[in-house]
Amino acid sequence: MDPFNAIVIAVFLPFILAWTLPVLYSVFKQRIGWIAAGIAFTCFVLNAQVIPYAMAGTPVQGSWVWLPTAGLSFDIYGDGMAALLALIVSGVGVIIMSYSNGYMSTKEDLPRYYQWLLLFMGAMLGIAYTDNTIQMFIFWELTSITSFMLIGYWRERPESVYGATKAFLITAGGGLLMFAGFLMLRVVTGTYGISEVAQSQELLATLHGSEFYVAVLILVFLGAASKSAQGPFYIWLPNAMEAPTPVSAFLHSATMVKAGVYLVARMHPILSGTPEWLILVSGTGMITMVMAGFMAFRQTDIKAILAYSTISQLAYLMTMYGYSTAEHPGLGFAAATFHLLNHSTFKATLFLVAGIVAHEATTRDIRKLGGLRKEMPKTFIVAVIAAASMAGVPPLNGFLSKEMFYETSVEIGHLVGGPWVYIFPVVAVAGGVFTLMYSIRLIDGIFLGERTHDPDVPHHVHEAPWVMLAPAVFLVGLIIFFGLYPKFPIDYLIQPAYSGLVPHAETLHIKHWHGFTLPFIMTVVTFVTGILLYKFYDTLAAMQNSFNAKLPWISVNYWYDAIVNNAKGICKKFANVTQPGPLGGYIKIVQLFMIFLVAWPLYYLGVGAASILPAGMNFASEPYEIVLYALIIVSALGAAIIPRYLPAVLSLSAVGFLVSLLYMYLKAPDLAMTQVCVETLSTIIFILVIIKIPQKFKEPMPAGKVMVNLLISGAVAFSVFAIMVNAGIGIIAPFESLSHYFMEYSLQLTGGLNVVNVIVVDFRGYDTIGEISVLSLAALGVYNLILSRADSGSAAEGGEEE
Amino acid sequence: MNNVMLSLTISLLFGIGTFLILRREMMKVIIGFGIVSHAINLYIVASGAFSNGTLVPILEHHQAVVGLGQGLIVADDVAAGVIGPITSEPYLEFADPLVQALVLTAIVIGLATTAFILTLAYRIYEEYGTTDVQELRRLWG
Repeated sequence: MDPFNAIVIAVFLPFILAWTLPVLYSVFKQRIGWIAAGIAFTCFVLNAQVIPYAMAGTPVQGSWVWLPTAGLSFDIYGDGMAALLALIVSGVGVIIMSYSNGYMSTKEDLPRYYQWLLLFMGAMLGIAYTDNTIQMFIFWELTSITSFMLIGYWRERPESVYGATKAFLITAGGGLLMFAGFLMLRVVTGTYGISEVAQSQELLATLHGSEFYVAVLILVFLGAASKSAQGPFYIWLPNAMEAPTPVSAFLHSATMVKAGVYLVARMHPILSGTPEWLILVSGTGMITMVMAGFMAFRQTDIKAILAYSTISQLAYLMTMYGYSTAEHPGLGFAAATFHLLNHSTFKATLFLVAGIVAHEATTRDIRKLGGLRKEMPKTFIVAVIAAASMAGVPPLNGFLSKEMFYETSVEIGHLVGGPWVYIFPVVAVAGGVFTLMYSIRLIDGIFLGERTHDPDVPHHVHEAPWVMLAPAVFLVGLIIFFGLYPKFPIDYLIQPAYSGLVPHAETLHIKHWHGFTLPFIMTVVTFVTGILLYKFYDTLAAMQNSFNAKLPWISVNYWYDAIVNNAKGICKKFANVTQPGPLGGYIKIVQLFMIFLVAWPLYYLGVGAASILPAGMNFASEPYEIVLYALIIVSALGAAIIPRYLPAVLSLSAVGFLVSLLYMYLKAPDLAMTQVCVETLSTIIFILVIIKIPQKFKEPMPAGKVMVNLLISGAVAFSVFAIMVNAGIGIIAPFESLSHYFMEYSLQLTGGLNVVNVIVVDFRGYDTIGEISVLSLAALGVYNLILSRADSGSAAEGGEEE
Repeated sequence: MNNVMLSLTISLLFGIGTFLILRREMMKVIIGFGIVSHAINLYIVASGAFSNGTLVPILEHHQAVVGLGQGLIVADDVAAGVIGPITSEPYLEFADPLVQALVLTAIVIGLATTAFILTLAYRIYEEYGTTDVQELRRLWG
């Protein structure tokens, strides 16, 4: 298949087929999980088509015309990096959707679950292959929305809603910052294209010389950091663990959180190579890596430990992508890309194990668990291998990329010089030590030690069913395979990924044994320190807890909650100030202001009270016109004075029909016709409503209040009158009317003779679309108001629209 | 300059509508709203009808065949209080089509809002059992 078509199908297949799931559900019932997995597998096969092109160094490119007037097209760019992310997304997708068949109860709303999973997968594939910033932004926010829906899958739980809202506010907000960065990038380079900028030396020079460079870098990085839960934005990820565990494994460890890292990698050729890049990306990464690893100690929920571990591991990736100097722009790129793949394998496995444990032992609290190795031997082995890979135990794949992390940390230290020769490696080792400690904790807390007898844990815990175990075993197979034969993933996935983006990246020289080099010594130090410090694990956790209890404001969550909760309160206070009382008050203010708007210019223009009515007024009116005017006024007065509803409404309707007659006289036949139709309809609606509302309320009319109201109304009437008779004598500055344009071009451009009609449907067609939207919204509003009745017994009314 | 009698009619409609809107009874407020909408629409349309002799803005074929910018004359005569009547060669004056198109939209939207307000009034009466605007405010807190 043509690779461009393969990519397009892979991106859009999940979007299209997601909508068929509810239909398929009525046929296949709970087996639709396998159908969803099949769709993911199809995407996986389609994505694999890109690999030969990526290996040959000829990325798959193509575009569709989208919005040519805005300089936008639908651009596809399938290089090695895109293929790597796409394969991870669709591959983990197959595993997760198969696993979900065992995890999700058949009583759940399965179509909704798989629908959102598929939509998410499509959006991620879109991010992988996109080649312009606008398209990137759209798919980016789509992943935020789908993630929101999946975290909040159990809608009735307040924690789910809280977690979903938090994740959405942070990731979508970060996406908006990124969008601002993209727009700045467009201003500087004049294009929305990504590879176009990356491959043009000229544009790159312009960008790096531009004063917007730092702003673009910061904004784009904020988008990436919020998505990948880096820096202060980490707070959403632990709360996102309220999602079903397969969702956490898929979105919040293996794929969606990688989108931020992927963006950094994608923007690497454009923005890297500067000290700003190193400080921002690596700096944020290193701080997050150490802090998140340390904070993991305090967690008692298995998934929360994994969440902090994910934050810390993503920070590894950020740190390595950030390793970049002017001479060696892609120093850490290859190592980071390899670790990105490895992290997906071991972290997804650990999440699957967490899901199995929670499913079988009915709790995820690590304090209540323990000694499960005898009852769940297979799960135990799977978990040990995955955790060992995360901790960097040779010869697994995690060990290889961790070695490379240490190696590149030493190198960047030497390139930067000064005290940094030590700081980079020391921080890297600290990250490694913490990783090792919580990895031991996971295994120790769940599987080792004495079997606990907590009331929440069943007496006999079963081994997981094969549906849930098989995906995990498959991933563990990959962990071992990548560890023993690193040449395979390197040649087919990693090398095409980095050589496409960073041509001069350090080539990977992976070996299990390099000799007694500095990275080897660092690994030994990591293991020794980690195992020694593990004795103090609980002490450290208790210290963190007491520290947080003493200083609650130290936590980022404290500030998030303060801002979000106060926002509601402030809005309420604001509304109470601006809308304190009955409607009449606001109307009076509006009308007094209107009188002022008329009086002020009249006074200023020197019209003065004496000459407010201009000389030589045009009183000429035919007798039939006078009759028409008089009838209108009499009917309006009737509507105002008659107390009973029905005659008042009929008077109003008389005003409407007389006004349509007046439109005839004012040379507006279209208006007259419309007015007749509208008046008929609104009279019907009026009458339908007054049938339902008995006239009980007798409004007291104290003379004083009536006088005040009469005064205001009189002033309003006089203002309008003054404006009308003075129109054209200096109040309005002379201007050329637009209307002759329509008169002249109506027939030439549209072939219409009735100019009013032509304006409505043609020249100002967009206004008419707006008008139709208003009508639809009003109709929806009416419908919902009727629907909102508590007692649906009484007859419906008022739904009539055009 | 507008015809005084027409201006008087429109401004009186404004005044009557305003008085109704200031009342406390909900249904009367809605009726007032309808009257004020009529007044506003008329006001705008009246600004585009220049004298008793103007024609409706519907062209005949022969009037439109003249070349662009030649057949129709714009007579912005500010001194005479006339802004933009459009005339064609044999001294035919057309009413302004633009204001009519604007008001056409406004009338239809007016219907939508009227229907919405009426339904709202009906629901408010159902929920609170009153049509007194001040009482409602008290009930609402």
